[in-house]
Amino acid sequence: MKNMFLAGLIAGAMLLGPAAGRAHAQAPTDPQIAGIVQTANQIDINLAKLALKKSSNSQVKEFANQMISDHTALEKSVADLAKKLGVTPEPSATSKQLKRQAAEESKKLRSLSGKAFDQEYASHEVAFHQTVIDAATSTLIPDAKNAELKSAIQGAAPLLQGHLEHAKQLEQSLKSGS
Amino acid sequence: MMLEKRKLLFCFGLLLAMFVACMSPQILVAAPAVQPESGPTVVIIKQMHFDPHDVTVKVGGTVEWKNEDIFTHTATADDGSFDSGPIAPGTSWKTTLTHAGQIAYHCRPHPNMTAQLTVKGGGAEANTSGAGAAGSSEKAASLKWTPPTLPQEIHPILVNFTAALLPLAFLSDVLGRIFKRQSLHNAAFWTIVYAACITPFTAAAGWWWRLSLGANLPAKLITVHEWLGTATVFIFIGLGLWRWSIHKRGIPPTVAYLVCALLAVLALVYQGSLGGAMVFGR
Repeated sequence: MKNMFLAGLIAGAMLLGPAAGRAHAQAPTDPQIAGIVQTANQIDINLAKLALKKSSNSQVKEFANQMISDHTALEKSVADLAKKLGVTPEPSATSKQLKRQAAEESKKLRSLSGKAFDQEYASHEVAFHQTVIDAATSTLIPDAKNAELKSAIQGAAPLLQGHLEHAKQLEQSLKSGS
Repeated sequence: MMLEKRKLLFCFGLLLAMFVACMSPQILVAAPAVQPESGPTVVIIKQMHFDPHDVTVKVGGTVEWKNEDIFTHTATADDGSFDSGPIAPGTSWKTTLTHAGQIAYHCRPHPNMTAQLTVKGGGAEANTSGAGAAGSSEKAASLKWTPPTLPQEIHPILVNFTAALLPLAFLSDVLGRIFKRQSLHNAAFWTIVYAACITPFTAAAGWWWRLSLGANLPAKLITVHEWLGTATVFIFIGLGLWRWSIHKRGIPPTVAYLVCALLAVLALVYQGSLGGAMVFGR
């Protein structure tokens, strides 16, 4: 559990650190913001697919299915908007770091099974959504230049908040069930 | 004797016609009047919100959730009284609310999405759990008489007659035997005939209620109530015919008849307690 907290902190620092550090000098551009959102969506979908494969807990599977369905819908809406605005998502230091961290998490999850897997997955989802919410409110929303892109990310915030609360419930119920 | 029989048949016919006349305007009125009443109150689910957040409906009213968001949501009562299951984007789900009170609900996959329904009681349904906040204005409103048009209004009215007539018939016969009064036996005969005439309507109104809103009635209770109620109709008609043949022979009712009538009274008491439990809770 302590590890998870640390991982969450590190994830947050990794995501926010470069963005915050360069806030004055170099805020992410709109294509980079679209890239970050796309990457975050993709990461959560991939981890959910892994959870569907490895977990046998019905609550975990239900949560994972919801993540796939919600983030796929979100991804599509972001892609549609980017296309409409003529923005091509671009990689950035932040998106690369997100990917690297996700690869590590994925590796860790693959080595686990049963209850340990479920608990790690739930804890990661709590930390991940918290990180993404923090990134959205402190960087992505204020830095987005296009008004539609800005409001689209603002619109996604309640969804992420919902996922965070659902993930916390899942984490809690896995803990009390063990 | 022949004349007597004709008169009796005439009275029967008159009684039946009276009830049909009483009921048919209700049925005629019910069709157009119920329609706007039962038109669902719509809650739009959009951008991770239930809109409007607070909705008030009458008991028996329907609420429909339309999902205009890009995500799948649910409408799940906090107290477990309803759960839509997943409502996919572009689809909707509705439910009918049978109990007065306030129901907070949420979206299961997105616990931050919350909203609430206020179900206002009308007639017999008022004052159930959670409706305590309804205050005096609500009580004043429910005192105003409006013609009963919904099955949940008609059934409780008819139940009064069914519930009163059978015990009266039984009591009159018992008293008639004790005091050896033919007039009491005559009263008992007529009372059971009335009971046998009105009870099919009571049961019909009950079935109407059950078929229109039954999904939200407590499953176990309603199953016993509906079949015991249906059986009661036949028991009443049977008792009525039995009593009629006794009356024709001009003798006091037999002990066997009285025992059967007593059993029917007890069944009716149990039936009434089930009905009460469904409307008011235990």
